Amino acid sequence: MSMMTGKEYRESLRKLKPEIYYLGEKIESVADHPAFVPHVNAAALTYDMALAPEFEELLSATSHLTGEKINRYTHIHHSHDDLVKKVKMLRALGQQTGSCFQRCVGHDGLNSVYSITYDIDQEMGTDYHKRLVSLLKEVQSKDLMISGAMTDVKGDRRLSPSQQKDPDLYVHVVEKKKDGIVVSGAKAHITGAVNSHGHLVMPTAAMKAEDADYAVCFYVPVDAPGVIHIFGRQTNDTRKCNCFLDQGNAEYGIVGGEALIVFDKAFVPWEHVFMCGEYEFAYELVERFATAHRQNYGGCKTGLADALIGATYALSQVQGTDRASHVRDKLVEMVHLTETLYCCSIACSCQGYALPAGSYMADPLLANVTKLNVTRHIYEIARLAQDITGGMLATAPSEMDWKDKRVGKYVDKYMKGVADVPTETRMRLIRLLEAMTCGTALVESMHGAGSPQAQRIMIERRANLERKKRLAEKLAKIGEQPLLVC
Amino acid sequence: MEVSKDSRKVKVALKYCGSCNPHVDLTKIARHLAKVVVEQRYFQLVPLSEDDIDVVVILCGCPRACGNKEEIRAKAKQSLVVAGESLDGRAVSEANLPSTVEQKLSEILDS
Repeated sequence: MSMMTGKEYRESLRKLKPEIYYLGEKIESVADHPAFVPHVNAAALTYDMALAPEFEELLSATSHLTGEKINRYTHIHHSHDDLVKKVKMLRALGQQTGSCFQRCVGHDGLNSVYSITYDIDQEMGTDYHKRLVSLLKEVQSKDLMISGAMTDVKGDRRLSPSQQKDPDLYVHVVEKKKDGIVVSGAKAHITGAVNSHGHLVMPTAAMKAEDADYAVCFYVPVDAPGVIHIFGRQTNDTRKCNCFLDQGNAEYGIVGGEALIVFDKAFVPWEHVFMCGEYEFAYELVERFATAHRQNYGGCKTGLADALIGATYALSQVQGTDRASHVRDKLVEMVHLTETLYCCSIACSCQGYALPAGSYMADPLLANVTKLNVTRHIYEIARLAQDITGGMLATAPSEMDWKDKRVGKYVDKYMKGVADVPTETRMRLIRLLEAMTCGTALVESMHGAGSPQAQRIMIERRANLERKKRLAEKLAKIGEQPLLVC
Repeated sequence: MEVSKDSRKVKVALKYCGSCNPHVDLTKIARHLAKVVVEQRYFQLVPLSEDDIDVVVILCGCPRACGNKEEIRAKAKQSLVVAGESLDGRAVSEANLPSTVEQKLSEILDS
């Protein structure tokens, strides 16, 4: 089998029977239910763009395992160029979708588990890497979309996994069998989970010996018995079922579509287990995954910001404010902030390095700086967009009233901006700006890939303050003065 | 390996990555090796421009390992790569780097 098209991806989802619940309803087909179609469309674009000549350089790669052309989302980075191309791919997709296209999480999971299984095997004499390579070949040859499931629900944050009153508050092994393991627990806000083919599940934090049952990494098909998905609500989500224009971005939605994945005594065969009790490696896996995922945010979010800046500029023209100096200045500021984020992602990619497995990862310090900046800059970009848009962002009449026989003419008359542009254009732009700056989409910039404090912790660990102190002491002539090596 | 402590004073060259923002103090490694040369005299430190270099020790301040290039490795029969807190891909603390590099160098020259 070769790389799939978006249409083939949708068909492949229809063949699966995952257990999914949303608004109290059991969902029969994510590819066809209006609440899920925008998310499926966004993910489908990762398939179609990989086959489009204008994007294939970024969205496709050559497998180091088979030499075959594959979708980059199934590729293991083997150079700085691979790391940079991932960021560029994300920006291109962000520009095209204006939303989250979900597939990066599983991609980052594959890369981090690929390298950590190699390290575990070297140290412990296990054969996890061989198992992972076997799964990777299947993922590449079938062009599978897999989710990356790391965040546990965590219960009482003061307590470690093994100290929780309810042992299921972190995913853990409940039974080891001859042919595999049985796991219970739940992973929270997993992007693209319901429209993936399977889940790559990873531990969420550093573990100690007493947490060994929680140091577990595995893959399960999305429709495996005991794997239950509960889809999360989003701002204005019922508009997906009863509106079109008012969705703002009807084709691709406002975020990736996140779900709570419950593992209720789910069985995982040994060939899909990649860590089982090696608690010493849990933190390193978390850091590699977090680095890979935080590297992304100056790629995808800048792509979205490009579309947001475009919408803001277009609306300023429709409203007749585009020549006001303060509007131009705010647009420049939005571009400045956007490109600052892009600089961060490109920089952490260029400063990346090879791991013992031969794969490459981004620079952890710079990747965390990237994501921490995203938690601020995207909010500021959105604030400026809202500033230029005006209060109508929060008070515009609905598309139903615009189409109403009695009041539609008033909506059309009083919602108009400059005379030669239809009212519908203004309404569409306002709704797109609402979708991109109000509600769930912004929260994703704050907490996606980890909350700001998680980045601060990693930044502190790598800050090397002692070296900075030595630099200052040298300048201030304090203590021993190091000389240049001659 | 064709070099030996006993046959002749083998040539060891150092090559730095450029030290833009090093995670470790590379000069401590260099100074330690210079001290070993004086005390034990079984190898000599030579410039990378010399011919017939036996070992090049590539000193990189961080894992990016900018100095670890094919054209540098090709200047010697063997190479050692320090990249931040690691030696040839194995984790080594900054405090232990000088002695570990010396030990590794000694192993190469003995082999």
